[in-house]
Amino acid sequence: MFALFILALIPLRSAYAVFDDDEACLLCHKYPRMTRVTEEGAIRSYYVMPEVYANTVHRNVPCRDCHTYIKELPHKPVKEGVRCDTECHSIKNPATGKPFSHEVIYNAYRDSVHGRDKNVEGIESDKPYCVTCHTNPIYDPNEAGPPEHVIGRCVLCHENEKFVVQWYKHTSRRIREVKRSPAEIVQLCASCHDDKKLVKRHMDQAEKEGRELGRKFPIAVKSYNESFHGKLTNYGYQDAANCLDCHAESDNYYKSVHEIRPSRDPLSPVHLNNKVETCRQCHRLADTNYAQLDPHPTALPGDGEFRHMAEFIYHIISVITIIGLVGLSMIETYGRRRDGVAFRLKQGTSWRRKSKRGRDRVI
Amino acid sequence: MKLSEEARDVLETSMRQNKVSEKDRNEIENLIVTLPDDRVLLYKNVVSNPIGDLERYSIHIRLQHMLTFVTFLTLAFTGLPILFFNAFWAEPFNSFLGGIEITRIIHRTIAVIMIFTMIYHILTITLGTLVRKKVGKFDIRRTMIPLKKDVYDFRDDILYFAGMRDQRPVMDKFMYKQKIHYFAAAFGNTVMIVSGSSFLFPEIWASILPEAYAAYFQELMRLSHPHEALLALLVIAFWHWYNVHLAPGRFPMQWTFLSGKITREHQIEEHFLEYLRNLVEVPEERQLLRDMLESREFVVESEALLNDLLATDEEGGR
Repeated sequence: MFALFILALIPLRSAYAVFDDDEACLLCHKYPRMTRVTEEGAIRSYYVMPEVYANTVHRNVPCRDCHTYIKELPHKPVKEGVRCDTECHSIKNPATGKPFSHEVIYNAYRDSVHGRDKNVEGIESDKPYCVTCHTNPIYDPNEAGPPEHVIGRCVLCHENEKFVVQWYKHTSRRIREVKRSPAEIVQLCASCHDDKKLVKRHMDQAEKEGRELGRKFPIAVKSYNESFHGKLTNYGYQDAANCLDCHAESDNYYKSVHEIRPSRDPLSPVHLNNKVETCRQCHRLADTNYAQLDPHPTALPGDGEFRHMAEFIYHIISVITIIGLVGLSMIETYGRRRDGVAFRLKQGTSWRRKSKRGRDRVI
Repeated sequence: MKLSEEARDVLETSMRQNKVSEKDRNEIENLIVTLPDDRVLLYKNVVSNPIGDLERYSIHIRLQHMLTFVTFLTLAFTGLPILFFNAFWAEPFNSFLGGIEITRIIHRTIAVIMIFTMIYHILTITLGTLVRKKVGKFDIRRTMIPLKKDVYDFRDDILYFAGMRDQRPVMDKFMYKQKIHYFAAAFGNTVMIVSGSSFLFPEIWASILPEAYAAYFQELMRLSHPHEALLALLVIAFWHWYNVHLAPGRFPMQWTFLSGKITREHQIEEHFLEYLRNLVEVPEERQLLRDMLESREFVVESEALLNDLLATDEEGGR
C-alpha cells in the first residue's frame, strides 16, 4: 500500500523541474519560517519554494546573478536589493552572445515619468519599480506543449527533448501575446493612480516645486471608469481603449509601455500634436475636431464646467418633472376617488363608490 | 344638455364633414337635448365594456405602441447596467442579459427598431393627415397638436380634482396629459437617437460640427443620453403606468393599446368632444345611448327639461 502511495506521487513530483541550488542558498531559505519582522511591524518572508521557483521564467538564473551583493555565506543583512538591469553571467543572449540583461527596457523605464532608482526614499518611492508590475511568472503546467510531430522533427538536430519543449513554450508564449487583459491593465494603473493619498502627495510636491501636472492627474482613474472606454473595459470587453492604448505607442508597444510620458511631453501619444494619430488607432476617421473630445469626461467643477452646469440644469428639470407628474397623479387620484371611482377589477364600470360630491351611479 | 360653444362647433364641423342627412341631424340634436346637463351623471351611468366600446387607435398606432413598449424597455434594461456600472446589481444584471458583448449588440439592434418605429409613426400620421385633408375630414382639434384650449383644460381639470369646479373640462380626442406625454416621448426619442448616434459615430459628428462646438456637443450628448433615458423611465413608471394601470377607474388596465377601443364612460368623461363625433360617425352609438338613457332615472328629469325647453320655445314663438 505504501509502495502504491509512493508510486502515485512520482508523476506529480515529475511535473515540476528541480531547482539546481549550486550556490547552496536553500541551506537556509528552504525553511518556511525564514522570516523577520520589519521596523514597521510587517512580516517579511525569505522562504524560497524550490519546486515553484523551478517553474518560473527565471528558473535558469542562479540566485547570485541577481543578488550580486551576496559575497559570503551566511550573508550580511541585505540593503541594496535586486536591480533589474543587472547582467546575468549565467545566461547568454542568444542573439548577441553577450550576458543577458534587461538593461535596454530598464533604461527606457528610467527615462519615463515613472522612472526611479532601486533604492529611494520619500515621495520617489511612490513610483513603481520593475517588480511593482512584473512578478516572476510561473509557467502554467497545463500549457500546451509542442505537438509530437514538432518534437520529433526538432530533436533530429537539437537532440535534447527538454530543450525543444522549453524553447517552443518560450517562443510560442511571446507570439501568443501574454500581456495583461485590458481590465487588469486598468487595475494595475489604478493601484497607484487611484490611491488618493499617493495622488495628493504628488500634487502637493508638484505645487511646492512649481511643476505642472496634467489636469486629469487627480481624477484619471475615476474619469476613465466613467467613460465608455472604462465602463466597457471593466465589464470585460476586450476592444475598448485601456490606459496603455492611449498613453503608450502602439507601434512599439512593449517598449513604449515602459516609457510613459506626461501629456505635455511632445513625445507622448496623448500630447496635443499626437492625439489625432493616437485616436486614429481605433477611430479611423478621427480628425482635429475629434481629438478635442475629452476621453476622461467628468462633470466636476473645475474640470468639466460645461458638463457640470448642464448636469445641474438636467437635475433641476428632472426633479421638477417628476415632482410635477407625481403631484398631478396624486391630485387626480384624490379627485376621482372623492368622486366615487373604485379601485377594483372592472365589471362594466368603475363608478361603484359613493361620491362625496353628491352624484352617484343610479344602479 | 346645452352644448358649450366649442362643443357645438365640434359637432357642427363633424356633421358638415360627414355630410350628415337632415334626418340624422335631427336624431343627433334630439339625442343631445335628452342628455343630462350634468355630464358626471352621464358618464357614471352609461354601460361600458372594459375591453372598449368606441374606436380610438388604428392597428398602425397599436403596433407602433407595442414596438415602442418593447424597444423602450429592452433599451432601458440593456442600458441601465452601463449607466449604473458601480451599482451592486449592474454586473450580475448585465451578465444575466448575456454580458457586455451581447448587450451592446442587443442595445444597438433594438435602437434601430426604435428608429424604424418612429419613422413608421411619422409616415402614419403624415399620410393619415393627407388622406383626411383630401376627403375633407381633417380637424386640427382632433390631433395631437397643442392648442391654447389645452392650457385651460389643464387648469380646469386641476380645479375639478381639487373640488373647486363642478365639471371636468370638455376635452377633445387627445387631452392635455396625452399631448404632454406624446411630445415628451417625441422629444426624448429624438434626443436618444441623436445622442446614441454620437456614441456610435463620434468621428462623423465631430467632423460635421464647427470646431468650437464639437467637444461641447459630445459632452452634452454623453450627458443627455443617460439623463433622458432615466427621465423617460421615471415618467413611464410614475406617470404613464399610473394613468393606464393605477389611476382609479383605469385599474387594473386599459385595453385600448390592444383592442384599439376606449370605453364609453372614459370617452364621455375625458374626451367628450370626440364622443360627440362618435354620435355623428357611429349611428349605432346613438341608439345604444338612447336605450341606456331610457333605462336610467335621470332621463325622466331630462325629458322634463326637454318639455320645459320646448314649452319655452313655443312661448317665445308666440
